[in-house]
Amino acid sequence: MSEAQPLPSPLAGLRILELADETGQFCGKLLGDLGADVVKIEPPGGERNRHVGPFLDDIPHPERSLSFWYYNTSKRCITLSLETADGRGLFRRLAATSDVILETFRPGFLASLGLDYDSLSLQNPRMIMCSLTPFGQTGPWRDYLSSDLLHMAAGGEMASSGYDQADAPNAPPIAPGGGNAWHMGGHFAYMAIMAALVHRTVAGQGQYIDTSIHEACALTTEAAIANYIYRGEVVRRQTGRHHAAGPTPRTQFRAKDGSYVCALVGGRLNPKYIGELADLLDSYGMAGDLRDPKYKDPAVIAANTSHIIDDLVANFIASLPAEEVYHAAQDRGFTWGVVRAPEALLDDAHLHDRGFWKEVEHPELGRSFVYPGEAAIYNGSPWRISRRAPLIGEHNIEIFGDELGLSRGELSILAENRVI
Amino acid sequence: MSRPRALENIRVVDFSWVRAGPWATRWLGAFGAEIIKIEWPENERGRLPSTTTPQSLEVNLNTSGNFNDTNLNKKSLCLNVRSAKGLEIVKRLIAISDIVIENFSSRVLQKWGLGYQELCKVKPDIVYVSMSGYGHTGRHHHYTTFGPVAQAVSGLTYISGLPDKPPAGWGWSYMDDTGGMYGAMSALTGLYHRNMTGRGQHIDLSQMVASVPLNGPALLDFTVNGRGSRRAGYPPGNRAHWPGTPLVNNYRGPTVAPHNAYRTHPGEYNDWCVIVCYSDEEWQRLVQVMGGPAWASSPKFATVIGRLQHQEELDEQIEAWSMTLGKYELTQRCQVAGVRALPVQSAEDRVEHDPQLRHREMYLAMEHPALGLHKVQSAPFKLSETPASNHLTSPLIGQHTREIVEGLLGFSHEELRAGFADGTFWPTKRARFPYMEEMLQ
Repeated sequence: MSEAQPLPSPLAGLRILELADETGQFCGKLLGDLGADVVKIEPPGGERNRHVGPFLDDIPHPERSLSFWYYNTSKRCITLSLETADGRGLFRRLAATSDVILETFRPGFLASLGLDYDSLSLQNPRMIMCSLTPFGQTGPWRDYLSSDLLHMAAGGEMASSGYDQADAPNAPPIAPGGGNAWHMGGHFAYMAIMAALVHRTVAGQGQYIDTSIHEACALTTEAAIANYIYRGEVVRRQTGRHHAAGPTPRTQFRAKDGSYVCALVGGRLNPKYIGELADLLDSYGMAGDLRDPKYKDPAVIAANTSHIIDDLVANFIASLPAEEVYHAAQDRGFTWGVVRAPEALLDDAHLHDRGFWKEVEHPELGRSFVYPGEAAIYNGSPWRISRRAPLIGEHNIEIFGDELGLSRGELSILAENRVI
Repeated sequence: MSRPRALENIRVVDFSWVRAGPWATRWLGAFGAEIIKIEWPENERGRLPSTTTPQSLEVNLNTSGNFNDTNLNKKSLCLNVRSAKGLEIVKRLIAISDIVIENFSSRVLQKWGLGYQELCKVKPDIVYVSMSGYGHTGRHHHYTTFGPVAQAVSGLTYISGLPDKPPAGWGWSYMDDTGGMYGAMSALTGLYHRNMTGRGQHIDLSQMVASVPLNGPALLDFTVNGRGSRRAGYPPGNRAHWPGTPLVNNYRGPTVAPHNAYRTHPGEYNDWCVIVCYSDEEWQRLVQVMGGPAWASSPKFATVIGRLQHQEELDEQIEAWSMTLGKYELTQRCQVAGVRALPVQSAEDRVEHDPQLRHREMYLAMEHPALGLHKVQSAPFKLSETPASNHLTSPLIGQHTREIVEGLLGFSHEELRAGFADGTFWPTKRARFPYMEEMLQ
């Protein structure tokens, strides 16, 4: 290979110890995909998220969890029992040379082992420890149990999401899927860790960070809080569109192929917009009466809002495949989108142009699989997946043996005693 | 304030507007960076239109409640950067700044002469974060988004809802919030890299693209197993699995029942509680909390497979019980017994009734010169040495023009007056706010 070395990623050179379950593994992935050496520390036998499906070929196995694969790219893995004295000793040695410890244990657990920030920072004052927990380290709910669904309820996501009565009578508030409570917590935790790292480049000191997923979720409902604080309004749920204090026109329309289109029309209707809408609909011969000069008058437009949206726009979209509406509208400057199932993204030419999809090798399987890539293109230090999720204890020899200098004999004894 | 700030001495030139970009710089400001928001009233979007102005106030550029919360910790410089003079002034500012953030459509700042290559000439190590709908690279870079459009195109809308119904989607611009997160995360990552290497860079962030990785397990189920999300029973509402459909994981953790929202007393719009049992043991604890009813002792509910198969009946029975309790009381009874339960909370619930958020001081009041005293949202992280804090309310438009032009950039007061006269710092034909008249005295 004669090519120049690839540019280092922005977090190259940082060592992170990750003691994280489903609540924190995404934050670790972000740090790893951005170039940090993330060492995931799992209990002997592997972490419980290795048992979350779906599984490769639907065969359950701790090395075949696609959920685990996705959230643990660009990490190395060692197994270590912190509940043994040997395990704690090894962990202290690793902590002495690490930059960041990300942990998601219940509040007080690490302190009960003598592995809390105050203890570990004595030997490594540059170390940053971030606790990322459901409710933070203090307060009446700090020991409450949680789940993704629970956070979407208490954080306010569900109070904003659901259905118009006409679409699904008496429907409950709906929690959007995909495990996004963990994403919300992970984004804020990543931000706090980076702020502490930037500070350390100047001040040379580490610190402790207490991050709450509940608070992260409570911060992620856009203007719902402002609606209440400034106007006393409590928002209502509407199908596929913004919560609002009062009803707003629909924005989701069924296309000819059964998919939906998100067409933001209501609230934007003015004579200029009507002219552009007429051009779009006319290119398919479906402008109806939109060319009528009466629509130069905003009052006439207002009186015909339902006709324009529920007849003309709805019929136009119903006559075409959703993808065609999307591109035809965007090409004319309309901020409209197609409601895609995730798998449709694999056919998105724009994502291919950006090199978004990544082939990730799974050498033990002799196969590689396509993974979603990065949110942003960094032109000076790339964000990229460096390797597939680690196997259980895959790097025990590399880290305990090569780095910490333990002999094969010592490693064998530690394994026999369930320390690693 | 004696505590050091994480971003002490970091200056950010903030061209962002509406929600996603301003939500990013709000957090950089909370960490102590000096955020200079470049604004122009003629094409302002974020202050107006406002649906969050208190009923007692006139709607104007300075009275949007949501703008206030989204733009805490910033200063405002009114500047016509589309004039040659304005462009020179903003370049002078960028030359003494660390980060530029913008969320215009792709190519806009380039056309104004403020693209990355151009700014490298005045500040070679600038960290330049572009937050556009589709990014600056790729054939659809000219497409535009609002949160709901990014959510629709990326698959996020589709994964929210009941089976055989239209997608419920997200009841707000989740990707404006989250796009803002990625903007702040990118700026901090670029800044860390600059501090370590001395090199800046351009970060091309796309709101639509940033949404896609949030569907990771669903996408891998397709690329690895060939299983798409267009299938019976998906999305499964609030459940982990929809009864009567093939047993598969639906990407929200372990597949279990109960896993749903249940009505609570007195049955008003937001009187719901969610309950999840991750094991037989947790289920048995719930049975105890419910008072050990006879129906719950049926063997069909004793196993997770049984509970999934009889989920309709299970959910009906649980709801018959949950209707007898208020959502906070139900939560407490469950949680003290080790059962996963929390209330569905409206904004009012979070601000007024959530004991945890109150304890953590999530909503503290600040006095804004036009809006008065109102609560604003605190940070969800507590840093022991460099705490994030809200130290400035949102700026009035152009509130800091004099401070920046004279104090920071070193122009004379006469030059400031001349800039107001020639339309550089405020449109000549637009009425000035009283604080602008004062700054010209």
